[in-house]
Amino acid sequence: MSSITVPDLAADAAGGSEPGTGPAGIPWGLVLPPVLFVVALVALWAVLSAAGLIPRYILPAPGAVLNEFTRNYAVLARHAAYTSGEAVAGFIIGNAAAVLMAIVFSYSGLLKAAFYPFALISRAIPIVAFTPLLVIVLGRGLPPVIAVVAIAVYFPAFLNMMRGLASADVDYHEMLHTLSASRWQRLKMVDLPASMPYLFAALKVSASVAFICAIVAEWIGANVGLGYLVVISGQYFKLPTLWAAIIVAAVLTLLLLALVVLAERALRRWTAAPGEI
Amino acid sequence: MASQPGESGLSIRDVGMVYRRGEQVTTALVGCSLEIPEGNWASLIGASGCGKSTLLRILADIVRPTSGTALVGGVTPAEARAARTFALVSQQSTMLPWRKILANVELGLEVAGVDKVERKRRAEEAIELVGLKGFEQAFPSELSGGMRQRAAIARALTLKPRFLLMDEPFGALDEITREKLNFELLRILKETSATLLLVTHSISEAIILSDTVAVMSPRPGRISHVVDIGFGHERTGAMRDDPQFGAYESELRHALHGPAGAPRPMATPSPSHALA
Repeated sequence: MSSITVPDLAADAAGGSEPGTGPAGIPWGLVLPPVLFVVALVALWAVLSAAGLIPRYILPAPGAVLNEFTRNYAVLARHAAYTSGEAVAGFIIGNAAAVLMAIVFSYSGLLKAAFYPFALISRAIPIVAFTPLLVIVLGRGLPPVIAVVAIAVYFPAFLNMMRGLASADVDYHEMLHTLSASRWQRLKMVDLPASMPYLFAALKVSASVAFICAIVAEWIGANVGLGYLVVISGQYFKLPTLWAAIIVAAVLTLLLLALVVLAERALRRWTAAPGEI
Repeated sequence: MASQPGESGLSIRDVGMVYRRGEQVTTALVGCSLEIPEGNWASLIGASGCGKSTLLRILADIVRPTSGTALVGGVTPAEARAARTFALVSQQSTMLPWRKILANVELGLEVAGVDKVERKRRAEEAIELVGLKGFEQAFPSELSGGMRQRAAIARALTLKPRFLLMDEPFGALDEITREKLNFELLRILKETSATLLLVTHSISEAIILSDTVAVMSPRPGRISHVVDIGFGHERTGAMRDDPQFGAYESELRHALHGPAGAPRPMATPSPSHALA
């Protein structure tokens, strides 16, 4: 994760130009150490496995896991497709609902006063624990898993969006007031752009939450997906499959995170940078 | 002030402002009256906390007075705001950091629903007037404080306001930049023929930019003295060397601090302020 966020911050500090980058624009100083670390770790893993120092029922040799990717490619891809679909659908639904509700609530003091304490408390509730209940309501399969993901990503986005919408300096509001701007214009021109750093902070956290929740919810509520694959391969001691599923889940999480970071950069022209307002 | 009071200029009549917070009552303004005929330039000067900004904010329809009336061009501040007859420039330039200078200057026109082509034309015209040509595509963070303030003035001018309300517009700038911008503003004022009300704590700034200077005293805030500055509207940097400039300066200094040699009362913070 750090290899993605660190160059982002460096670019902010320098106002867009990225110092210390090679001719291709790749910050080797930041990319190389973690890559070398992973290579060393895999090498150590291979050596210890070959020497028989790691029990195969805990961690199979890297070759066996790699083999799983080529041999069981279709199975992994099918389950990964389900999990990605659930995680991304839940991610979009939950965050879209959070942004819309935060906008509505920021207009209404009464709604905010009534709901805000529960949104705060919700941070203490393990949302995945509701999966059995959601299975009863929605049936087994994709709907309960998507619902768990949506609910889990909803609250951080809602809370941050509420804070973000209230974050713009009162001077900006007074300026728009003297220009006779409408509430909608104020939202569009000041409050939404000012809230984006807050929203993206939440989105970066919920990118991984989305996949974790999808996988855990699949243990209980589905018979497809990486979560299901992990449980089944664990029960049948198919350790290479289990490890391959974990690696696929990690890569998918990083992809979603990368999409969020790219979206934030693409919007930078119209929104505040962190700490700007 | 020969013209009919309050007909078309800025008018403050017996304005009072009282803040209540539970048991606490703070009188911010009491019995303030001032008439500024259209086309005139006026300043409110006083120590911080004397209510000069509050008076300006009443005219800008940001706060409502608890007593008395304020009129902008013969109508209430709320009506004037809806008709966009005045523009406010505050101490912080309030440039939106994610908008380039051109887009920031266009903001008022955008809010008013002016179409894109016209918006750009008028914004570029205003940017040229304040001497920021070439910086249209810069972000506010790339400009100095003085340049951001020029941009804020440009934004105010795009709507061709009849009244320009300025709340310590150069208060955050260094003395050299400030004086340069004072004379730039004189040039701009002559081109736009707007009525100016400027809030400042600088005596020389008040003289350079005003036909009338109203001196305010604190606790409770009131207008204690009004000085007419007889320099006309043809002003140059040479006015600073005019002996009359020095005479106005000492008159205003005495009005602010009391006569020279007289013991000055120590300003003790009132308990209500300390609690707030």
